[in-house]
Amino acid sequence: MSALPTTRGDTLANNFPTLYPSPQVSLGTDEEHHKRLRARKVRNFFKSLFSHALINFIGLFFLIPFLWMLLTAFKSNQDVFHTPPRWLPYDNVRVEINGKQYPLYTIQTEDGPRKLAALKIVEGIGSFVDPDNPDQVMEYEIQQGATKIAEPIMEVRFNWQNFPDAMQRGSRPGIGASFWVYFKNSLIIAFFSIVGTLFSNTPVAYAFARLKFPGRDILFIIILATMMLPFQVTMIPIYLFFNDFLGWGNTFLPLIIPTFFANAYDVFLLRQFFRTIPEEMCDAARVDGASEWQIFTRIVLPLSVPVLATVTVFTFLWAWNDFTGPLLFLTSPKNFTMALGLQDFQSQRTMVWNQLMAAATVFTVPIVIAFFFAQKTFIQGIKLTGLKE
Amino acid sequence: MEELQIKRKWTWPPKLPKWSHRERVNFKTGMLFLLPWTIGFLVFTLYPMVASFLYSFTIYHPRQPNEWIGLQNYANLLADDKFWNSLSNTFYMVAIGVPLTLLTSFFCAVLLNLKVRGQSIYRVIYFLPSIVPTVASTILWLWILNPQTGILNTLLGYIGIQGPNWMSNPDWSKPGLILLGMWGMGGTIVIYLSGLQDVPVSLLEAAELDGASWWQRLWYVTIPMVSPITLFNLITGVIAMFQYFAQAYVFRGTHDLGYPLNSTLFYSIYLYQNGFLWLKMGYASAMAWVLFIVILICTLLLLKVSERFTYYAG
Repeated sequence: MSALPTTRGDTLANNFPTLYPSPQVSLGTDEEHHKRLRARKVRNFFKSLFSHALINFIGLFFLIPFLWMLLTAFKSNQDVFHTPPRWLPYDNVRVEINGKQYPLYTIQTEDGPRKLAALKIVEGIGSFVDPDNPDQVMEYEIQQGATKIAEPIMEVRFNWQNFPDAMQRGSRPGIGASFWVYFKNSLIIAFFSIVGTLFSNTPVAYAFARLKFPGRDILFIIILATMMLPFQVTMIPIYLFFNDFLGWGNTFLPLIIPTFFANAYDVFLLRQFFRTIPEEMCDAARVDGASEWQIFTRIVLPLSVPVLATVTVFTFLWAWNDFTGPLLFLTSPKNFTMALGLQDFQSQRTMVWNQLMAAATVFTVPIVIAFFFAQKTFIQGIKLTGLKE
Repeated sequence: MEELQIKRKWTWPPKLPKWSHRERVNFKTGMLFLLPWTIGFLVFTLYPMVASFLYSFTIYHPRQPNEWIGLQNYANLLADDKFWNSLSNTFYMVAIGVPLTLLTSFFCAVLLNLKVRGQSIYRVIYFLPSIVPTVASTILWLWILNPQTGILNTLLGYIGIQGPNWMSNPDWSKPGLILLGMWGMGGTIVIYLSGLQDVPVSLLEAAELDGASWWQRLWYVTIPMVSPITLFNLITGVIAMFQYFAQAYVFRGTHDLGYPLNSTLFYSIYLYQNGFLWLKMGYASAMAWVLFIVILICTLLLLKVSERFTYYAG
């Protein structure tokens, strides 16, 4: 028994008392045994402390950018460019004078610091009034040499207004299309893509999963091989076909129509699931004289709701996320999708990062909601296909 | 035995093996079910492949007469500095970005597989960034990597590191993009995690019984057992990275592609520039075919090399 590693031996002995004779033999006195147990407890405590610390530290890498997106979306226009950046969103404290809001400043006057409201600030000289006595306008320089005379008073405030502001503006000034329009366009494209994907992929997958006919296996190899083909190879002819031949440029059709003609990923995913449905059920129906189409629609499809949900979720994800397709085909801003609109907004270099982040948040939220409703579906789909983007 | 040796006369049209009535009916049913895919394959895969192959031998402009120039496009590619530049940028991402992402995602999967309290919450946190739409996450990271007001350099500043000018320094633009990619590696982590859960407990216990430490079990049992998953992640990662487009495009926008100093001019970006901004569609088609060949060679090479390092149980 002494050959067994002692500390591990005793746990095993507890599990298999008949296989391993009592390890107490090698453990010596009770006191030594307790000492060893205590040492193990301490070691395990530090082990778990270390793994917790590590998992939290790396978790920050995934979490902070998320938080940063949200917090930036709530910041006021000045606060976005505050250096060094602050975590929480700050905004000017404002006072109401004659029905208008003015930011409050701390001014270093001759008689000590005073809290005054700034009416306007032009070329470094501000016009200030006392909120309690708004008729007397005083002028102060904001900065004298290195010392700041006027310092805005800030407070933590979440600017919810950024969200409606971002959604009601377009990606460029004066285009008559807002982010709401982009949002709606993305929804329309995603909806029809889901319909097309579900209708076109299920019969194809059923044929590969359950029908026996000559040439099936060769065709299945071909369909898998098309996964290898980079989009860049087919991109130009497809573009010319839709844009020049059919004249569908700047419409949603080039983005929707291809989904009605099946794709390798979804066929593969559905086929894998269809093969798990017991063959006997289909055979029983065949004996009763059901056609293949009836078996497919009445037996296989009703049993496949989970995988159809997976396909729905992933098609939504893909259509919502797609950037290259809209970039190629959609040219006028009123047809932009969220992805394209957001890129267009960013490329204007307007630097309103708070609104950009607000729009990005609105763009992300539907997917996060979908994830929390269908967490299992997501994970299952990823495992089944290794689909990543 | 003589009956078995059928001498086949080659005739045109070739005689197909005679199908029974049953087979013919089955074939018809099958083809009806396959109809959506067959049409899609012909229109959206086969025709475009043939067409782009033919375009690659022409000067193709959508609104001008086209001219057959043989292999000239391919010859021009070899002499095009920007082509080589974009290819080497892409290889940088494939050779550094993909393995780095694989390594870290495996590490994260191992962490998430430990029995710690709140495990499911950690899994959600690690996974969630991967479902953020590409355009949103890229813009977010542009903001994070901002040298003055970005959060990354601020955090680095807390521990006394002067962060680089991520977006305007050609040496740091690609590492910035790799960071962005690593933020969204949740999908890879999930695949690894499911692989880790499939490692037979009996093997790990046997190793433990033999006195193997945690590291030894990881190195000698777990890593070989998940090697097929590593291969899968590696190949899909390499294929995706060769086509890296959206992030790099959003990074700079249409008028600034490749900035700084062409350090983010990736292959697909240069292809897009040629095909859709300069309307040199023949040239872009030739680039696409070169890309396809490069991807094929790399995939086959990986499969060949990995034979020695991949362990398939059962």
